[in-house]
Amino acid sequence: MNSSFSADENRSKRKVSNRESFLTNVAASLGRPRMTDTVRRPAWKHTVHLDTLADRTPEQLVEVLKEQCLFIHTQVIESTPEILQTTLDDLIAGCGGGPVIRSGDPRFAQYGLAFPGGFVWSEKAGREENVRRAEAANVALVFADYALAESGTVVLESRPDQGRALHFLPAHYIAVIERGRIVPRSTQAMGDLNRRLEAGETLGSCINLISGPSNSADIEMQLVVGVHGPLRATYVLI
Amino acid sequence: MSLQTDKREFGERTADGIGDVFMRGAVGSAQDSLKTRRLTAATALGDWERWRELGQQIRQHTLEHLDYYLEQMADNVERRGGHVFFARTKEEASAYIRDVVQSKNARKVVKSKSMVTEEIEMNHVLMEAGCEVIESDLGEYILQEDDWDPPSHIVAPALHKNREQIRDVFASKLNYDGDETPERLARFARSVLREKFLEAEIGITGCNFAVANLGAINLVTNEGNGDLTAALPKTHIAVMGMERIVPTLEEMEVLDNLLCRSAVGQKLTSYITVMGPRENGESDGPEEFHLVVVDNGRSDILAGEFREALQCIRCGACLNVCPVYRHIGGHAYGSIYPGPIGAVITPLLGGYDDYKELPYASSLCGACTDVCPVKIPLHEQLILHRQNIVSQGRTGAADRIQMKAAGKLLSSPGMFRSTLRLANSMTKLMSKHGRIVRGPAPIEGWIGIRDMPQPVKKRDAFRSWYENRESGIPAAAAPPGAGGRNEGDGRRAAPDLPEAKPGRDVSVEEAASRIGKGGGRS
Repeated sequence: MNSSFSADENRSKRKVSNRESFLTNVAASLGRPRMTDTVRRPAWKHTVHLDTLADRTPEQLVEVLKEQCLFIHTQVIESTPEILQTTLDDLIAGCGGGPVIRSGDPRFAQYGLAFPGGFVWSEKAGREENVRRAEAANVALVFADYALAESGTVVLESRPDQGRALHFLPAHYIAVIERGRIVPRSTQAMGDLNRRLEAGETLGSCINLISGPSNSADIEMQLVVGVHGPLRATYVLI
Repeated sequence: MSLQTDKREFGERTADGIGDVFMRGAVGSAQDSLKTRRLTAATALGDWERWRELGQQIRQHTLEHLDYYLEQMADNVERRGGHVFFARTKEEASAYIRDVVQSKNARKVVKSKSMVTEEIEMNHVLMEAGCEVIESDLGEYILQEDDWDPPSHIVAPALHKNREQIRDVFASKLNYDGDETPERLARFARSVLREKFLEAEIGITGCNFAVANLGAINLVTNEGNGDLTAALPKTHIAVMGMERIVPTLEEMEVLDNLLCRSAVGQKLTSYITVMGPRENGESDGPEEFHLVVVDNGRSDILAGEFREALQCIRCGACLNVCPVYRHIGGHAYGSIYPGPIGAVITPLLGGYDDYKELPYASSLCGACTDVCPVKIPLHEQLILHRQNIVSQGRTGAADRIQMKAAGKLLSSPGMFRSTLRLANSMTKLMSKHGRIVRGPAPIEGWIGIRDMPQPVKKRDAFRSWYENRESGIPAAAAPPGAGGRNEGDGRRAAPDLPEAKPGRDVSVEEAASRIGKGGGRS
């Protein structure tokens, strides 16, 4: 085996991706020539994914979300735009205080929120600084793009003002969910994102579906909450 | 590590597994917990059969148009600034990855869990090239620190180790001085690995599904290690088996729902992420993104009678219900892919020469087929393997002689009848209390682990009983005007039996004696 690896030794810069021969071989394995016409997805035989929880009212969906969060070690706090600042300040204090890092989401300004001394993820700060601040942060604050009631999930897209590591490096994770953004399940959120993509929109390079804090059961199947990502997660409903 | 994790004979490997009391206890309780969680999650969702059919349809549609979707995906990844490399063999795949790493003059590689990188022996190739390769999944990290002990379960790779063993590994390799509580062990690993994430130059992940119309990959994890692996290093290399692709986010969503429930009974795992090359203006995420698409034998599977095996979404549900896996454990399979799905795909990827025993590591009970979220007919494929192995003459001489003899016997009614007549006296020396307890060498393997009833005497046999009943119906017992013998039979049979409670277990002897009485009395 080593000999076949060393035969490749000298080809350090590969320009060829093997794409054509590879795909022609795949088509041959399927017993036909390459597919060149556009393939349309068939009508799927079932609509179970669309039907699940589809009949729930917005109020019922809030209840579904709250109940699910009991199972995923995630605290849910009900607040209002008026008292949101106080709610978040209390939560931060409960986590042991700062440093705080937040996304640059315009909704922070829209709701008149300010976190003196906190850091805001931004394009201007650059890779090193953003990551360094996220790693040093005790609390991360973000706004959800969608929330999925069934699974207790927040969906967030990466943007210049909202990086990937923001969701993973800080010890505590707080996501604000506007009630209007709660949908029944992953079906609606992924359907919406796919429609936006097909309409020609460029999506962020990273779409995160986050359901509570990080965890692992790799040691004797015993659940440990808080492994590589956040140790605790909190959702604030407004 | 390669596909093959143990070069010893199958018998030695299984004997090891069966002799490992702790491992069997751990596997048994993990199976019980995981299968209960799966069942609860499936029941709570409702309409599970329809979900499975939907999952199956999505997988089959994608496989039937695989060249199209792979090309669409590659176009989209490249349009977003990423690189796609198609590798026909494991050597091509590993060499490409090594070349990328070397072109960056990188030494520090951090990985998240990926079975296909094991299959292509990537760690070995990168370490030979002088790189430090760190597995960041907690279970995989434990195995790495224990001198690359092989994984024993697709989803929970360190299932076979207990907390004391893990503490000892950390203590001897990493100077850990804490106790053996999982919480402390995990916190310790977190702090060690956090440094590794931050200093790594290259991040390597697997891929649960590539999303064709988006040009991105989907990772499903609970720890968040996959996300850090992809977000922090400046180069991200993702490796996928060529069949792991979906048309759009909509199908990805359905399959992720099936995967999470089937694997661990969660509605969705903590982190489900769709990621691709970094977009303009974003500050973290990879500056360079490579996707390596691996064939390594898959196109042959696609072309043949085992195509449905490629529907697999690696949930491990079939392992969690398998009675054979329960007793021999993951290592006995000698492959990075254990359990029923491993017994199907390992011989396809690695050949019958090394893996012809695996299709026999099954009771054919079909529990695997019943739980598979994408409806792979697993036990039928195991039978198909056995047919191939027999027709290629790969079974042992003893097997062949026995099967030939059985074939002769069963195809001649005369010989079959005379054998039945003699069966009781022929097995007298081998039997005790109506059970065959020992046997000559060729059947020792069978008898040694099974309770086999001794064939009954000719007068007690079903055929004799049936003939006697036919001739011995007392006319008086026949209901007046009874025309057909069928309706009469049922009524008369009942009073003959000593009050048997429905559902009560009846021993073979008792059953045999009842049959004898029933026939004799009439």
